[in-house]
Amino acid sequence: MSHLPILPFIVPLVAAIVLLLGHGRGIVFERTLSTIAIVFSMLLAALLLVTASDGAVRVYRLGDWPAPFGIVLVLDRLAAVMVAVTAALAVPVVLVARQGIDTQSRHFHVFLQLQLAGLYGAFLTGDLFNLFVFFEILLLASYALLAHGRDAPRAKATLGYVVLNLLGSALFLVALALIYGTLGTLNMADSGARLATVAAADAPLVRTAFALLAAVFLLKAALLPLGFWLPQTYAAASLPVAMLFVVMTKVGIYALLRVVTSGLSEAAATADLLEPWLSWLAIGTIGIGAIGMLAARRLTLVAANLVLVSSGTLLLGVAAASVTSIAALLTYLVHTTIVTAALFLIADIIAERRGALRDTIEKGPHLGEIKIIGTAYLLLAVAASGAPPLSGFLAKLMVMQSLTATPHAWASWMALLVAGLVTALVLARAASAYFWEPGRADGATAMAAHASRADMTRPLALPLILLLVTALALVPLAAPLSAYTRATAAQLEQRQTYRDAVLGNATIERERRP
Amino acid sequence: MEIVIALGLGLLAACGLYLVLRPTSFSVALGLTLLSYAVNVLIFLGGRLGATAPPLALPDAEGLADPLPQALVLTAIVIGFGMTAYLVGVALRAKGESGSDRVDGGGGA
Amino acid sequence: MSEHVLILLIAVPYLGAALVPLVARSSRSAAAWSAAAVMAACLTLLAPLAHEVFVGRTIIARITWLPEWGLDLAFRIDGLGLLMAMLILGIGLLIVLYAAYYMPQEDRLGRFYGILLAFAGAMLGIVLSENVLLMLVFWEMTSLASFLLVAYKYEAHDARIAARMALAVTGGGGLALLAGLLMLGNMAGSYDLSVILLRGNTIRADPHYPIMLVLILLGAFTKSAQFPFHFWLPNAMAAPTPVSAYLHSATMVKAGVFLLARLYPALSGTDLWLLLVGTTGAVTFAYGAYVALLKHDFKGLLAYSTVSHLGLITLMFGLDTPMSAVAGVFHLINHAIFKASLFMAAGIIDHECGTRDMRRINGLYKYMPRTAVLGILAASSMAGVPLLNGFLSKEMFFTETVGHPAFSGYAQWVLPAFATVAGMLSVAYSARFVHDVFFNGEPIDLPRHPHEPPGWMRLPVEILVTLVLLVGFLPQVVVGSILYVAANAVLQTAPPPFHLAVWHGFNLPLVMSLVAFGLGLLHYWRRHHLFALHERFGLPLSSPVAFERVYRDAGRASTWLLARIDDGSVTRYLALTIAFVLGLGAWAWTSTGIPSRSLAGPLPSTPADAASLAALVTLAVGALGTVYFHTQRLAALVFMSVVGLVVVLTFIRLQAPDLALTQISVEVVSIVLLLLALRFLPGRSTDDSPPALKLRDGVLAGLGGLGFAALAYAMLTRPFETISGYHIANSVPGGGGTNVVNVILVDFRGFDTMGEIAVLAMAALGLHALLDDLRLRPYAASATDLADRHPIMLAELMRPLLPLALAVSAYIFLRGHNLPGGGFIAGLIAAVALILQYIANGLDYAARRMRYDYVRVLGAGLAIAAATGLASWAFGRPFLTSAHGYVHPPLIEKFEIASAMAFDLGVFLVVVGSVLLVLAELGALSRREQPPPRAKEG
Repeated sequence: MSHLPILPFIVPLVAAIVLLLGHGRGIVFERTLSTIAIVFSMLLAALLLVTASDGAVRVYRLGDWPAPFGIVLVLDRLAAVMVAVTAALAVPVVLVARQGIDTQSRHFHVFLQLQLAGLYGAFLTGDLFNLFVFFEILLLASYALLAHGRDAPRAKATLGYVVLNLLGSALFLVALALIYGTLGTLNMADSGARLATVAAADAPLVRTAFALLAAVFLLKAALLPLGFWLPQTYAAASLPVAMLFVVMTKVGIYALLRVVTSGLSEAAATADLLEPWLSWLAIGTIGIGAIGMLAARRLTLVAANLVLVSSGTLLLGVAAASVTSIAALLTYLVHTTIVTAALFLIADIIAERRGALRDTIEKGPHLGEIKIIGTAYLLLAVAASGAPPLSGFLAKLMVMQSLTATPHAWASWMALLVAGLVTALVLARAASAYFWEPGRADGATAMAAHASRADMTRPLALPLILLLVTALALVPLAAPLSAYTRATAAQLEQRQTYRDAVLGNATIERERRP
Repeated sequence: MEIVIALGLGLLAACGLYLVLRPTSFSVALGLTLLSYAVNVLIFLGGRLGATAPPLALPDAEGLADPLPQALVLTAIVIGFGMTAYLVGVALRAKGESGSDRVDGGGGA
Repeated sequence: MSEHVLILLIAVPYLGAALVPLVARSSRSAAAWSAAAVMAACLTLLAPLAHEVFVGRTIIARITWLPEWGLDLAFRIDGLGLLMAMLILGIGLLIVLYAAYYMPQEDRLGRFYGILLAFAGAMLGIVLSENVLLMLVFWEMTSLASFLLVAYKYEAHDARIAARMALAVTGGGGLALLAGLLMLGNMAGSYDLSVILLRGNTIRADPHYPIMLVLILLGAFTKSAQFPFHFWLPNAMAAPTPVSAYLHSATMVKAGVFLLARLYPALSGTDLWLLLVGTTGAVTFAYGAYVALLKHDFKGLLAYSTVSHLGLITLMFGLDTPMSAVAGVFHLINHAIFKASLFMAAGIIDHECGTRDMRRINGLYKYMPRTAVLGILAASSMAGVPLLNGFLSKEMFFTETVGHPAFSGYAQWVLPAFATVAGMLSVAYSARFVHDVFFNGEPIDLPRHPHEPPGWMRLPVEILVTLVLLVGFLPQVVVGSILYVAANAVLQTAPPPFHLAVWHGFNLPLVMSLVAFGLGLLHYWRRHHLFALHERFGLPLSSPVAFERVYRDAGRASTWLLARIDDGSVTRYLALTIAFVLGLGAWAWTSTGIPSRSLAGPLPSTPADAASLAALVTLAVGALGTVYFHTQRLAALVFMSVVGLVVVLTFIRLQAPDLALTQISVEVVSIVLLLLALRFLPGRSTDDSPPALKLRDGVLAGLGGLGFAALAYAMLTRPFETISGYHIANSVPGGGGTNVVNVILVDFRGFDTMGEIAVLAMAALGLHALLDDLRLRPYAASATDLADRHPIMLAELMRPLLPLALAVSAYIFLRGHNLPGGGFIAGLIAAVALILQYIANGLDYAARRMRYDYVRVLGAGLAIAAATGLASWAFGRPFLTSAHGYVHPPLIEKFEIASAMAFDLGVFLVVVGSVLLVLAELGALSRREQPPPRAKEG
């Protein structure tokens, strides 16, 4: 039998265990092992992508117990896409971390590996409680990664992030308790099927349960009233962590999408559970992100607010929940993850060259030779602001088209376009400050800048180029990518095939309690 | 009985939430602990009341409690314990870095 | 064949854009010549296509890209496209040569030509797109390229801001255009022009037509600098003159009017079109002409004259008669020619004089007669002097204004009168340009001494002015045919028969021209009154400073707004989250379409006995006590442990021994943890949150509690069907254990446990990383530093107790699979036993005796658990398959226990390792802080 579906989880787990057993062997050992594991995981993700492309839903029964009684991992196109995006991002992340950041405090690579294990598990599991467990794994890893390094604001930000997410975890458990207490199952496919059978008298309870579940995911996705923590937190994180965190919001969006498509939308009890409000709040999220960008005084903060904008955009797609909208949002997800991470990276490269000024958007010392950085910045700015001809435009175009039929297409389009313009203007202003405004002859700053230029920029060039090439490749690859995401969305529509694959056709015996 | 339990849980949750909203990290930790008590019991109650025997699959066993929620609660308890421990660590760290044990204003840089 | 040529034509400029910068490294002139070569190459590629177009064919080339999203690489060339392409490439070629002499010698020009060629490519893309979304792609690319070109001299403050201003206006317009085109595509059912242009009636009938039209016009007007979006254009004059001559006369600004022409058959023919396009054009025409006269900087004058002429062209399309559209196309050509030459001439003068202020530049005719002649001719054409090309298109326009169908009665005179006035204004500013610059006395202290430029620099101007004359004298011969095919493409039908001639007889339009001339010269002569007036007349937004101010204010406003909603306080985030969840939950419960929403379910309520009531009371005391004493930390802890005990008892009462055992041991461990942590926190804290806030929190908490209780009650009073019967049934046969909970943990849902120990391990490691090098001052005053106060009695008691406790733990562990117990509980008990040693004997004693590498213990635990899981692969079974399934009968018992136990052992080790690592860290923290004894004495 093929163990493929579980391998993405096993590889980083084993890597983490080896790191623990061999701890104290020095950073070189850790870096090498960690890098190897991540590169291997990326190849693995590619394999998953290819395997899933045949449209079959592959089920991996842990402990060889049949669903819904045991836990199953489910490899379908959606899971493959999410794993692939994460794995692709992990490579530049580890390359950045290798440049000394990983030594600032203990166990960085252990947490990095377990973070990835948690993410992959969350994307692959077909069981709601197991999803909770993976959420906890990836959260605790993210706490540790966020706290990584010595920095007062970072410690404060971590405290806030932890507290908020602990509340989220409690809420997650409440939702699960109610879901089990009503549907009597934890398996996603099974619960999706059971939703249709809910008695009228139980409908409000079930509905509320899923509403709470959605709230948990939306907290992760930083939807409007729940998202204020995000910019400062991301801006406080160390560079590799900030880059990796770009996928963290996507986990919430993925989970919501998974639950919605598992049968939420079609069951009487939970029909239109999200739609009356989600779109509007998503639009609000985009708005807040745009406002945050205008207010931002640092490029890192701009990037962090860009995460909010993309979250809102993605949630618009989830709310619409049509095949085209899901296809569009998945394409957008790939684009925004890569580009935003790259933006964090280039912000740091620029900051390193500006000494004490860091990446504040005001004129500072000359950056020295800026041909490469300047070009990279320009390309990223174009992609990030959704301007033609790069991936940002294509993705935005798809999202806008997929929303045409929705009742609030107007507001959505407006939000997307305005946010795009704001992004362009803010990034143009920043570019003007970094690259164009005559340098200030501030000896100390210039000195510091010069000092850091040598050791920082060159090693960071490789990950930057990796991300950049990926981002640019999305243009020629737009057609195959869009084909894949469309097929993914279509596959999510095939609920029955999914259920049959997971649950088989044997009747599930249930026991009435009390 | 149901009403008694519901009231108890509601009270726990209310106290927990109130403490979670206090300004100092220690109170927040207390609050989250109370909250997790309530949540764990709620999960457990997913199996409903009225069981007459612990979930031991002995021959001629009758009225067994629902084992599944119990297993979930066990997991939840342990995870909750880990989280509490970590929260304490972060609180101490924040205290060490900034000299204050307050969480309000903690989100900002 | 010609399809390939068409695609090649689009591609070549981009290849050039990529290559020329490389060439530029070798030499400057090489860059110039290669750039020119690229333009020339494109022109030659255009030739075969031109032939096809002139015989009336429309060539469409298509590379499918994202058909399902309506975006294809589809190109078309027809009369209009051909005409525009000729302008873009022809003038582009001249600009390239001109720039070689104009741009400072030290500039290698690599960047300049690179961007310029990319821009030319984008312009070609706009005019040669068949797919409108593709057209938009190129459209926005021109905005981007112009941003880079305007900011070319980025050391200059104004250039930087002007560039961003242009980006803001044209880019923003482009976004509106995107929305408009998407709607247009939806209305027409296709994004291909060849379809859209045929569906005019469907489109005009669509209810959303007005919105769509406005959005598209926003795009066109911003690009073509129509009032009130014109202000970016004059500021864009901060660009090097070759750029202005190219972008701001012949190409980019023409993209807007091109769009009007391109979509004319689909959009025009409605009152709304007449109103919007006509009015905007008219206002811009007059306003631009009016302001142009007031500009002392002749480049500014030319900029506003461009605004004015773009308005004129827009107006011609707005008039919405076939002939006026023809006139529009004709003027588009003429304006491109004379305005490009004027800008280049202006550039020469700027170059020679070192200033652009017409109050200082005078009488240049004496110093550079040839350039002067060229400038005068071009300017006269701009003014509409007969025998020059500008005159012809203006006459056509005048003709169209007379007796326009939209006006009747006396109103018929409105349009001609307006046209005459506007004409008068353009005569005036042209007169100023000619008279001030070339005559009007002597120059006033110019930075440089002006003289004729090198012939090569003047050549492009000469070529263009020759065209001005040729078209002026022999219009039909020179432009007749191209104008015909272009107009044909615009109208998508044969244009009305027209004959281009210099002399149409003495008619009303001619009279209008003459009047315009007379008044124009008069107006120029009396200009000084206006100047005085203008000093007090500044336009908002029109200056770079103003734009920067607006941008800054937007930033400030956002900061202010954010500060209002987001004060960076986690407490507020928590409150928001709770409030959101409450609202959402309430809405979800009530918004069900089903009538029955009663809280209580069908189950009969079981009577509450005294014990449970007592438990409730104790719980209440504990919980409320915790809240009441939360500022006095130790007391709070005590009350909280009471709650914990009640929970434990509840578990026992409700038949959950495993939970009870786990909970109680977790209790002990967490309490100890918190106590250790308390050393570093002040014994009392103050809850200084204002009453209002406390009230808010109270309300939120109260509602939350109610909601929680309601949900719990609703659930408890409803029966449900669960799958857990299967687990009970298969626990012994399948899992090989009677304790179903434990079998679920290590077998049915062992994967959860795997993840859970990972979490536990990470928590410990996280603390390890956090506290590693942390230095904290313990609160000596705090009553809680029992970590190193250890009564002898306790110590003596505890030491022997340790082995006992460990034995218990071992027993619990072993029986776990069949009776309450298992890895967790055993691990926690062992941990508790060891903790007791800490408490009893102090951290130093314990730490000295327990020198294990807890990290490795952890790792080993995880490793064992994972290995057990992976072992099943060897037997071709999935991860974590328990062992008993695949060994022959006699060994069943033995093996299945072995497998499950191995996993549980992993759990055990992780639990012990984690707990001890945490405690060791906290202990180390305390030790680190104990001041060395010598410090006390000295």
